[in-house]
Amino acid sequence: MSNKVVTEVARNFIERYLYAYDCQIIESTPSYLHTQLSIPADRDLCNRPYYWMYVEQLNLPPQPIQLCLTFDPEHPPTDRPSEWIFPGSQRYQHFLQSAKRHGRFTSLFQNADENYRRQGSYPYQTWLGINFLVSYICEQKRDQIWELGINLQSGEIVESFYQQIKSLSWQTQLPPNRFTQPLKLKYIEALGELECYLEEKISLEDHDWAKQALTRLSEEQEQLQDYYPESQSNEEVLLEKKQRNLQLVRQYHPRIEVEVINGGFFHLDMLKYK
Amino acid sequence: MNQISIRFDRTWLTSFKHTIETGEHWSNWERFQLAFEAAEQQIIPQFDTLQCLKHLQTFQPLPHQIEVTRQVISEMHGRAILADEVGLGKTIEAGLILKEYLIRGLVHKVLILVPASLVLQWTRELNQKFQIPAMAQKKAWMWDSYDILVASMDTAKREPHRSEILKHQYDLLIVDEAHKLKNKRTKNWQFINQLDKKYCLLLTATPVQNEMEELYNLVTLLKPGQLGKQREFQNEFVAAKRKAKNEAQLRQEIQRVLIRNRRQDHDLPLTKRMVHTIPIELSPAERELYDGVTQFVQNQCRQGGTDPRSMLSLLVLQKEVCSSRDAVFHTLFKLFQKDGNPLSPEVASLIEKLRAVQYSSKVNQAVQLIKEIPEKLILFTEYRATQEMIIRQLEQEGIYAIPYRGGFSRNKKDWMMELFAKRAQVMVATEAGGEGINLQFCHHMINFDMPWNPMRVEQRIGRIHRLGQENDVFIYNFATIGTIEEHIIWLLHEKINLFESVIGELETILEKMDGDDSLEKRLLHLIACKKDDLAIREELNHWGERFRLLKEEVLADEQQSSNRSCAQLH
Repeated sequence: MSNKVVTEVARNFIERYLYAYDCQIIESTPSYLHTQLSIPADRDLCNRPYYWMYVEQLNLPPQPIQLCLTFDPEHPPTDRPSEWIFPGSQRYQHFLQSAKRHGRFTSLFQNADENYRRQGSYPYQTWLGINFLVSYICEQKRDQIWELGINLQSGEIVESFYQQIKSLSWQTQLPPNRFTQPLKLKYIEALGELECYLEEKISLEDHDWAKQALTRLSEEQEQLQDYYPESQSNEEVLLEKKQRNLQLVRQYHPRIEVEVINGGFFHLDMLKYK
Repeated sequence: MNQISIRFDRTWLTSFKHTIETGEHWSNWERFQLAFEAAEQQIIPQFDTLQCLKHLQTFQPLPHQIEVTRQVISEMHGRAILADEVGLGKTIEAGLILKEYLIRGLVHKVLILVPASLVLQWTRELNQKFQIPAMAQKKAWMWDSYDILVASMDTAKREPHRSEILKHQYDLLIVDEAHKLKNKRTKNWQFINQLDKKYCLLLTATPVQNEMEELYNLVTLLKPGQLGKQREFQNEFVAAKRKAKNEAQLRQEIQRVLIRNRRQDHDLPLTKRMVHTIPIELSPAERELYDGVTQFVQNQCRQGGTDPRSMLSLLVLQKEVCSSRDAVFHTLFKLFQKDGNPLSPEVASLIEKLRAVQYSSKVNQAVQLIKEIPEKLILFTEYRATQEMIIRQLEQEGIYAIPYRGGFSRNKKDWMMELFAKRAQVMVATEAGGEGINLQFCHHMINFDMPWNPMRVEQRIGRIHRLGQENDVFIYNFATIGTIEEHIIWLLHEKINLFESVIGELETILEKMDGDDSLEKRLLHLIACKKDDLAIREELNHWGERFRLLKEEVLADEQQSSNRSCAQLH
């Protein structure tokens, strides 16, 4: 990706973040963006815990910060201080962290179509959608996202669930004249199903990377064994060997860690989603 | 594959449950999407593709630096000796590697050990160039509270710091100037060996030409046993202290842990060096003093025989008289104090001659030159007395000049650098202050006096002529006519072409030359023997010829070995 595209991605993300978290945009030009942060946004982005402690303890009216963010370092605003935003900048990383922290769980209803409303009451079908982050770790690392969804009525599991529902429109309240069907699976059972499914999928993958890491590990352990022969070593040397061996394990030992990015309940309109 | 473990993180489940039960904190659709996209932007899609490059925008790393980063991470698995020649950007390489590991989440706790004078520079570069939140270590409690610390090696290895550091597990340890870790019996080596580290980078510019055992010790810090046990190594690879056997095999073993880039292998965007020798006529009084000191040195040499210590101070004296009256005074005074005897008529007459010198022709020249160049300029002298005198004189002329020397505290050094960058026109630096400071924003340099050691001259130039310098660099050599200095500048400039181009192998060549005798000793010998100009020129010419031959030899050697190692790689 060219720098320009990368910067556009960053700007687009920040603008959407600012709207989503109730910040006010004071001025927006092609090269910069001037914004008045909301209180939650300030807390997340500006890293000033002592200020917030002070405001709370003394019960003062909080004054969140204004930020002027430049996306084009060659044309910053001339009349006020501004900071350059690019993907690696600390501030941008704070935006990403904040977004991840506050967008974890949701429960949404697909927007009801006006046309159907008059025709009586219709059911929603409930899905549990979880976005998993799978990390393959040895002395190197790779991530993969799995967007799984499970139907809480039928137990059916689909992959790329999030991609499929992304283009739909959603609301947080159950619309009038609509109802949700009783669930056959509890969410905790459903989650177990998803984990089981994912575990099986992962175990079927090619784990050449892990084999290679294990080979490297055992090669280096052998080298260590030769260097510190068991027989003629004093306590200090053995300790050194043990420490070095633990370091090797820390460095190479292959493992897979699964985290949850976010997830929630998605109530699909049965009239539309078939 | 069965043995690979999969760990599901379920810490999120509690808050999910809480949200379900209370119905609070559900996020809306837009916020949910943002969270997913943020995660998407942060994922590491492949094991081997570098992520750090798209994160960096304040500067563009050079191709060889990117290649080193890739190699260290993918092929050396994070334990390596970075041994590029001076000025190719080892700090940048280490920064790139650290950044990559941080982005990948493979590294959290980091310790960076550097010489005290470089702590702030490292901290600043990591923050500004790489947006890595590194802190300079100042207090003992900081070992616990900060994840990424830059500290001085000398502090770290001392108590109470040492024990504190040894309690921690570091994901990455970086040691700059790692040639200080060559001896297994030193505190430095033992400390680094004990430190608990996952990945480890050792940075040094001079790993290969040295003693075989030192190389072995360095590699052992990274991977004990990589070169076999000490005795096996001695038998298999060591022919003599500085000579290897089974070279091809040794090279192959070493290439697994060591990367060295040389200037000649890369087309690096270095600007030109423009060299001007400025001849300076001594005033009659200065001439008297110069001749007097030279006479004195000659007499003393004849009387004192070969006592090395008095030879050394005589050498200093002879060098100082080329620099300034003030420098001479300082040493004469000390010589006299040590003797305790009443002033000999010889010394008394020298002091008379000192008194007679009213001004410094060199300083006058410097003032004139500085006024003609309305830009930043660094002036190097070897002597502190000269440094102080120059600053005083420049001040009188209304030129804002600041001093810089090795003895300054870390804070003061940083402050002086800041002043020079932002406000002062001139920095007057002594040799000791020269190491490790980067002044790419300045491209004029005066050699007020000339070190008699070519390596030191190269180090001076390296302060401003390095990667990142955008302008051609102007070097002005002050040469007092009819003194030994004139000969030295002739040798360095005309004969061995030291100034115009970077001689990457300078150190190797000089080491080989020193077998004969260092240039310094040779020069003193010439003076002591009362050689005339012609004879001196002839001797220096001889030295220069030998240098030229050795240079060809070293270059041919390097070419051969790099051909060989290329052949091995294919």
